[in-house]
Amino acid sequence: MDLTINEKRVLATLNESGPIGAETLAKKMDAPLDSVVQWAHLCADNGLLTLEKTVTEQAILTPEGEKYAKEGLPERQILASIDGSVPMSELTKNPLSKIAIGWLRKKNWITIKEGVVYVNDNITIGEDELALKNPIPGTPACKELAKRGLVEVVENTSWKIVITPEGEKIAKDGLDLREEVATLTREQILSGEWKNLPLRKYSIDKLPKKIYAGRIHPNQQILDEIRDLLFEMGFTEFHGSIVQNSFWNFDSLYQPQDHPAREMQDTFHLAEELPLPNGWEKIRDIHKFGGDTGSTGWGGEWSPEVGKKCVLRTHSTSLSIQYLAEHPNPPLKAFSISRVYRRETIDPTHLPEFEQLEGIVMDKDLHFGHLLGFFKEFFGRMGFEEVRFRPGYFPYTEPSVEPEVWVDGLGWVELGGAGIFRKEVTAPWGIDCPVLAWGLGVSRVSMLRMGLKDLRQLYKSDIDWIRASPVRRS
Amino acid sequence: MPIVKLNNAYLTRLTGTDIERIRASLPMMGSEVEREEEEQTDVQFFPNRPDLYSAEGTARALRGYLGIETGLPKYEVKPSGISFSVDAKLANIRPYLGSAVIRNVHMDNAMIESLMGLQESLHWAVGRGRKKVAIGVHDLDKIKGPFSYIAADRKTTFVPLDYDVEMTMEEILAEHPKGRAYAKIVEEFERFPLITDVKGRICSFPPIINGELTRVTENTHNILLDVTGIEPRAVSVAVKILCAAFVEMGAAIESVEIDGVVSPDLHPEKRTVSVSACSQLTGIPLTAPQMTELLMKMRFGAEVVNEDTVTVEIPCYRADIMHDHDIYEDVAIAFGYDKIETSLPPSFTVGKPHPVQKLYSLVRNIMVGLSYIENTPFTLTSGEISYNMMHRPENPAALHVLHPISEDQTIIRTDILPLLMESLSINRSRELPQRVFACGDVVESLLTYPKMAAASIHTAADFSEIYAVVDAFCRMMSIKYEVRESSDEAFIPGRRGDIYVSGEKVGVFGEINPDVLVGFGLEHQAVAFEMDLRGFVEGK
Repeated sequence: MDLTINEKRVLATLNESGPIGAETLAKKMDAPLDSVVQWAHLCADNGLLTLEKTVTEQAILTPEGEKYAKEGLPERQILASIDGSVPMSELTKNPLSKIAIGWLRKKNWITIKEGVVYVNDNITIGEDELALKNPIPGTPACKELAKRGLVEVVENTSWKIVITPEGEKIAKDGLDLREEVATLTREQILSGEWKNLPLRKYSIDKLPKKIYAGRIHPNQQILDEIRDLLFEMGFTEFHGSIVQNSFWNFDSLYQPQDHPAREMQDTFHLAEELPLPNGWEKIRDIHKFGGDTGSTGWGGEWSPEVGKKCVLRTHSTSLSIQYLAEHPNPPLKAFSISRVYRRETIDPTHLPEFEQLEGIVMDKDLHFGHLLGFFKEFFGRMGFEEVRFRPGYFPYTEPSVEPEVWVDGLGWVELGGAGIFRKEVTAPWGIDCPVLAWGLGVSRVSMLRMGLKDLRQLYKSDIDWIRASPVRRS
Repeated sequence: MPIVKLNNAYLTRLTGTDIERIRASLPMMGSEVEREEEEQTDVQFFPNRPDLYSAEGTARALRGYLGIETGLPKYEVKPSGISFSVDAKLANIRPYLGSAVIRNVHMDNAMIESLMGLQESLHWAVGRGRKKVAIGVHDLDKIKGPFSYIAADRKTTFVPLDYDVEMTMEEILAEHPKGRAYAKIVEEFERFPLITDVKGRICSFPPIINGELTRVTENTHNILLDVTGIEPRAVSVAVKILCAAFVEMGAAIESVEIDGVVSPDLHPEKRTVSVSACSQLTGIPLTAPQMTELLMKMRFGAEVVNEDTVTVEIPCYRADIMHDHDIYEDVAIAFGYDKIETSLPPSFTVGKPHPVQKLYSLVRNIMVGLSYIENTPFTLTSGEISYNMMHRPENPAALHVLHPISEDQTIIRTDILPLLMESLSINRSRELPQRVFACGDVVESLLTYPKMAAASIHTAADFSEIYAVVDAFCRMMSIKYEVRESSDEAFIPGRRGDIYVSGEKVGVFGEINPDVLVGFGLEHQAVAFEMDLRGFVEGK
């Protein structure tokens, strides 16, 4: 049986003393009573001794009670000072009178007539006065004194402790009473002495205190996983400005200037403006009549002033096109995971900002089948095995596709849009090979992966949720 | 995107097949089935295909896609003898008019509903809320040509649709529900657009409302169409889409003359396209006859010229064909996206993280090692949280969004620490200690740049703790820094320091000012630091 040093000491002492009160035991062990009782209980749990509890009440005089026990109750002292009768005005000069007069009247020791106090006859010693000398808990007199604050009744618990035969046997077999060692010292480790030391044993049934590790946000972890996947596939990462002018955010992507997505209800507009880049006239021509791309263009007017006006980027495609304009030579594979902004009211499925994964692949001889092939591989590695492709529409890609993945319980879930950039988009920047492009809502991937129902959780982080989220292992 | 409500019975009648087959095909033609009910199917079509915004247009496309009826729909247009004149004074108001006469119309409820739905969707998609294009449909038998499209006096009176009293055009804008809804399109003009017949009877006040006089009912058999707008191509497309839909209903189209120009012109446009270019773009190996067949499924006219050349006739209602690639996409859709053979892009490239993202990864690693938990707060925030609650002066370089949705999101963050304070506030009932950090982009003026911040809250948090964290962070980042007394009011005087690198202030740390703590509803000491990371981006 594993006993702590204190339990062993209790047994050893008890074995010598025989049945004993807890207080005596504490004295013998030179330890606090509470601790000794606690150790004894641990021994009792193992059947090594028995504890017999006795609760007794004890009445103790309060300091005020002690004083009156010596000098008499205030009413008795006052009474003793009156010789038959005394005017009330005289009596009230005595400081004790405030307490005493009420009691004198209650005990019927005096009569007051026309301002004069007369002592009554037949005054005996009261029960309370006797009890003051020797208060016995539970008696009416003692209770009376307790009410007057002269006596306090306290409960005394006493323990009688008796060793059991099993305890005796253990004690007789010999107890190692050396102090238990908690932390090993350098000397104990190096000398090998630790092997002979009584090492404190810890309970493995008791859970340890929780510690919370520092950690990367669960959503960021998924984003990093996607980044790693794209690095493995040979993609270079790009990064850019949150604030874009409409030229880069819309015009260069062949979105007409009266496109509904540009309106106030969909886009965060700013008062600031950014200048148009060199070569903006090509974009104007493309919008108006297709430029030299073989396109008809949108027709109508195109205003450079509208193009200068700033917005919070509504998609990271605005970064893709700038990256392409700076890197017009194939082959190129690039991506970005960036916050994008839509003027949406916050609710469980809509946020005004969220992460978009944006990617481009440029090379000679690329075709739509490569784009679909990329998605099969990418989604497969993300853990979505079934992928299907629906025709889609975006002003800047042709052909366009909306890839969907199968999610048990949800069915086909659309994760974004993709396509091959239109000539109207790439030609102005001197790009003459196909550019596969896609934009995916990665928050949606995170939601699916983490089983979240409320998008807000990703950005207004409940620390308990982050602490409890398991780290993904695959 | 508009939701098109398709009456199942009407749609199946027009298509000639059952609703199940139709519903299975719709997504693969480029639409989303929003809701399936016994009588109705709600479908979302893309904004580039307004010709599909009716049961008639959808059925026409479906018949091709399902192989029931392929090739170019033919439209015969006889002259009606009716003419229109357009007032030159409209030049700066609403100059363009398109029109057609539609004969032999027999509309039941499903047809009237379909027509109204089409009109509404066209107003949205092509008309941009009636500003660019607005459509009027009139019972031709109630009026008589020639018609005039004029810039009228604002006091001109007539009985608008759904009313039984005459109103001036100004009163209509002020009182009629449609007038109030669309007043902003015309109210700035001195004169308003108006369409009248030969006797001066008023047909319509475009783009606001028709007259009650020409209301279309089930008893209407001959229709006058007016389409007005500010962009000629959009006006013309709307007329063509409407005419094509009427033909599907069994009606005949007749043309009118608008100042001598015949409207509508329902002839197809011709394009010559390349089979190999189509194969090259789509990845579908095609022969000219195969491509022709697929194009016919999409209701194009198509003819093989030679091995690599096909001539294509584009139906008049297709507003979206701007480039050969638009035609090639239709070939791919007809072929079926799911049947396209796929492979990975063969290009060899080497991947590389962006320096800023690489920096963020480093910051994350260090802070996690220091037992900090990452937060990823919004970048949109408010001046209240960023400055007032932090006891800091407003940053004049903060960008304000013009039309914020809520008071909580009026600016783009210039600092990250206030968002961490907000996070601690949200988590105030959670177990302490809490140590959080965030890194990410902030914006000042028009410049996006990287920052990070960290905060620790618990009963024993103090200056030494955060100084040690700043020191550890800087050592691990190999940042040589010095600290000077700070005056940042977000922190307690005497318990705050500014971080300097190469003589430039890059950050601040210390014990958060208790007034700030209480403002965020926090009851324990918090310590924090924030750092501008611009100088530490690799390669800078």
